[in-house]
Amino acid sequence: MQDVAVVGVGLHRFGKTGDDVVGNKSVTELCRIAVERALKDAGVSWRDIQAVSAASSRFSGGKGWGLNGNDVVEEMGSTGIPVYNLSAGCAAGGNAFNVGYSLVAGGVYDMVLVVGGEVMPKGMIQTSGVEEATDPEFLRQRCVGMPGPSFWATLARRRMHDYGTTEEQMARVTVKARKCSVGNPYARFQKEVSLEDVLKSPYVSNPLRLFEICPVSNGAAAAVICSAKRARQLTRQPVLVASSAVATIGFDDALPRSLAVPVPNGPSRHTEVYAAVTRAFEAAGVGPRDLSFVELQDNTCYYELAFPEEWGLCQPGEAERLHAAGETLPTGRMPVNPSGGFVSFGEATTAMGVFQICELTWQLRGESGARQVPGAKLGLAQTNGLGGNATAAILKR
Amino acid sequence: MSEHGKACVPGLFTDDNGARLLGTRCSTCNTPYFPKVTRCHNPRCSESRLVDASFGGRGTIWSYSVADFAPPPPHKHDKPFKPYVIAVVDLDEGLRIVGQMVDGLDQASVGAPVTLVIDTLYHEDGQAYSTWKFKRI
Ligand SMILES: [Zn+2]
Repeated sequence: MQDVAVVGVGLHRFGKTGDDVVGNKSVTELCRIAVERALKDAGVSWRDIQAVSAASSRFSGGKGWGLNGNDVVEEMGSTGIPVYNLSAGCAAGGNAFNVGYSLVAGGVYDMVLVVGGEVMPKGMIQTSGVEEATDPEFLRQRCVGMPGPSFWATLARRRMHDYGTTEEQMARVTVKARKCSVGNPYARFQKEVSLEDVLKSPYVSNPLRLFEICPVSNGAAAAVICSAKRARQLTRQPVLVASSAVATIGFDDALPRSLAVPVPNGPSRHTEVYAAVTRAFEAAGVGPRDLSFVELQDNTCYYELAFPEEWGLCQPGEAERLHAAGETLPTGRMPVNPSGGFVSFGEATTAMGVFQICELTWQLRGESGARQVPGAKLGLAQTNGLGGNATAAILKR
Repeated sequence: MSEHGKACVPGLFTDDNGARLLGTRCSTCNTPYFPKVTRCHNPRCSESRLVDASFGGRGTIWSYSVADFAPPPPHKHDKPFKPYVIAVVDLDEGLRIVGQMVDGLDQASVGAPVTLVIDTLYHEDGQAYSTWKFKRI
């Protein structure tokens, strides 16, 4: 195994179809812009890329088969390089990074491009595309009608029961997330919102409100990764990948993700996320309290409270107090999502895992401006997606 | 067909002798499954031995949420859309299952006792279609 570095990153600012930011750009165009920026940032040319690890989109491009990596190669110039198209729901970007990392770490290639992008349809994501009685997602939607936000709302409601979390405390997480986004040139939303704004926004799924749930966005992200040896020829201080891990759901998960599960004896938690993050800690030889900051998948404010506890960054039930004390801000003791997170970017589903790598890289280089975590040395990126997929990566300088 | 209409998906539940969900149980490790499975999913189970089992009766609400907006297809609902509670219920028979509540929006609370019922989900071409739901006891 050889050490792996991130030498170049690039984002296309996130936006909504028809706005001034993304207009009617295709997913391939969004990806091309992100890739060009990542190549420029790395100081390499397209011909230096030996393979592409791409997130497969269910929603746009990819010739309807999730071949989004092939679209990118055609657009950039068909050099005949191998393309890996990875599908893992909302974790696909994280999966693409893991596969790219593994290929470089294993010495198969010396320089790989990781890319993900989306042009999303409007409204709530329809979780299943098929109408078959053998498909559990179809059954859940037809027989019950439980869209994604209701799953999150159920977890939020349970937290309110377990720890006495109030709707105001959850709303304050959104206020903090949007505060971080101010001055982030890539965020879709770059304006603060007040507590009153959040609490006045309508329920999408009680107890969660419109401003507490990330919308869908269009956007793209790219990263050039290579061996640490090659990286040192390109830059004096490369950002290194301390670890990259992938995991899937455990049998004893017990969260209401499908129609039914056995009533558990132990805790109900995101087993795939816990497994990925734990493996990333072990492989990097670090613990949760060594992190300078995390970029976690905040589809809703609930996750900014629950995930740090599930991973041991703080004690169970402690997150609300840390938020109130400002400890999750970039300047706090446990910075969470200094980028502004999914709540400020909106979710361009398969781009998200790569977007997090971009933010980690900028933070570790000290290039994050107003949202910079002072002295950031070690950052964790985490995604999870449909099917019980999760990824975690730890980057260091 | 029960008084609440045709099953929205056939073969998943019955209302013949009270509301029952039709599933399976592994007789080696005792894991309950709904809907039916053809192999025990428990990785620690030594041998998959599945027998038909049905589930229903009493349970308690583990948590719940509200569908404040109409879910997208393939969900079907009557118009105008009426928000409903989605409960996650731990049945006494060992199954944690999701379902709509027949009661009003302010009737749900974590830990509250409920029972499984069959109730109308939507109408189409003059025909009622049913699903399983929960009712406060
Ligand atoms: Zn078994």
